[in-house]
Amino acid sequence: MKNCVVKVSNLVKIFDKRKIIKNISFDVSENSVVGILGKNGAGKTTLLGMLMGLILPSSGKIEILGEDLNIKKNEILKKINFQSPYVDLPKKMTVEQNLYFYSRLYGIKNFKDIVNDLVDKLKMKDLINKSYGSLSAGQKTKVNLCKALINNPKLLLLDEPTASLDPETSIFIREFLLKFQKKNNSSILITSHNLDEIQSICSKIILLKFGTVVSDGNLNEILKTKNYSTLQDFFLGQG
Amino acid sequence: MIGRILALIIRYKTISFGSFPRLLSIFYWPSVQILFWGFFSNFLIENNSTPFIGILSIILSAVVLWDILFRGQLGLTMSFLEEIWSRNLTNLFITPLREYELVLSLIIISSLRTLIGLTPAIFMANFFFNFHLFELGFYLIFFFFNLIAIGWSIGFIVSGLVLRYGHSFEELAWAIIFILLPFSCVYYPLDSLPLIMQKIAQIFPPVYVFESMRKILIDNQIDFQQLHKIVILNSSYLIFSILFFLKMIKSSRNEGLLINQGE
Repeated sequence: MKNCVVKVSNLVKIFDKRKIIKNISFDVSENSVVGILGKNGAGKTTLLGMLMGLILPSSGKIEILGEDLNIKKNEILKKINFQSPYVDLPKKMTVEQNLYFYSRLYGIKNFKDIVNDLVDKLKMKDLINKSYGSLSAGQKTKVNLCKALINNPKLLLLDEPTASLDPETSIFIREFLLKFQKKNNSSILITSHNLDEIQSICSKIILLKFGTVVSDGNLNEILKTKNYSTLQDFFLGQG
Repeated sequence: MIGRILALIIRYKTISFGSFPRLLSIFYWPSVQILFWGFFSNFLIENNSTPFIGILSIILSAVVLWDILFRGQLGLTMSFLEEIWSRNLTNLFITPLREYELVLSLIIISSLRTLIGLTPAIFMANFFFNFHLFELGFYLIFFFFNLIAIGWSIGFIVSGLVLRYGHSFEELAWAIIFILLPFSCVYYPLDSLPLIMQKIAQIFPPVYVFESMRKILIDNQIDFQQLHKIVILNSSYLIFSILFFLKMIKSSRNEGLLINQGE
């Protein structure tokens, strides 16, 4: 049996007396790609925030890579990373300065080689000396992804990773992420409204509705059991 | 720890000194202040409007010392606000960076910005008005650290408020120092204030710094009781402000404000 990379137990988050996350539990096994689905307001961003220690849970427990996030946060943060098109990097610095800055924060020793290698693989050599603020939305997404891979994370959290990318670049990024995940034995937790994307790369899904988990399991098994041919049909069928 | 602090200092150095306009914005204001007050003091002396021979020295010392406080506060607040304006807080707080490392980095970059900002002003004062700030001797170092510490205390409180309660508090970054100015007795003695204002002024450490400065320059005396008060008040305010800043970070985590915060 595979080890758990993420184990969430009885997690609750209350904002202003409103329960946003309602006593949810799930786990993510190592070397897996898991999609977190849900309509706007389902609690996806709050859940991701809690998994990164950015939002304090009201109650419940989060274990990441076998450690309690509440106790070993800084140790855990060295081994995970995050990318979202809604979160920027410092605009007044160049792409290279940004990547070096984050490498130093993660304590990476030979960071210049690692940055060069990632920049090469993500085909963004032409961006390296440009100011981050001058990049297009798609270019920023690529740079953010490069930042998210800089510490070779064992757990990668992605919030709509291909939003604002053209179809060709989206396919390239998806394939790149899968190659990275297999090569490094990492796990990926991904939220996206692009259901085709989720179906093409995730082995497991967690469906959130009004802060509760309404479905959690192997994607193909869920579709087979519930008698749906596509994830989109299943998602729409949940109302 | 040192690597992460160094990373932040390099980042703040890049945004503060990375281009000529940004560098200019750090040192033009203290230089303009020195020139303005220096020429004004000269005018007073030439027209026999003041009985004080040392008026130039007193006013220019006050300008430089006040600017240490102002630069210290602005250097810290602006560096932290830059993270909010860049929508970079989420990325920053998911790294292994510890909160005390952020506090230390902000203090170091504020010191660098203050020193770099004031150096041309001090040289200008020397060149145009034959003013020697080092007349204050060892106490200049004492005043420097205490005034910049007041700036840090204000900076941490403003930064914490902006982080927790939003952009409406950004105005405080500029305004708060001018609320403190009349109570600090930078250019006049404490007893020239109305009694009620004197009582308020005595709660804050700057008044003791400027009273001590005048005592050294006019009477060539040192009031050790006042120096003692400066240290006690400053240490208390600095500890309180750092704890307040850390509390605001925790409260922001609790309210989910560290995700997607920005302009």
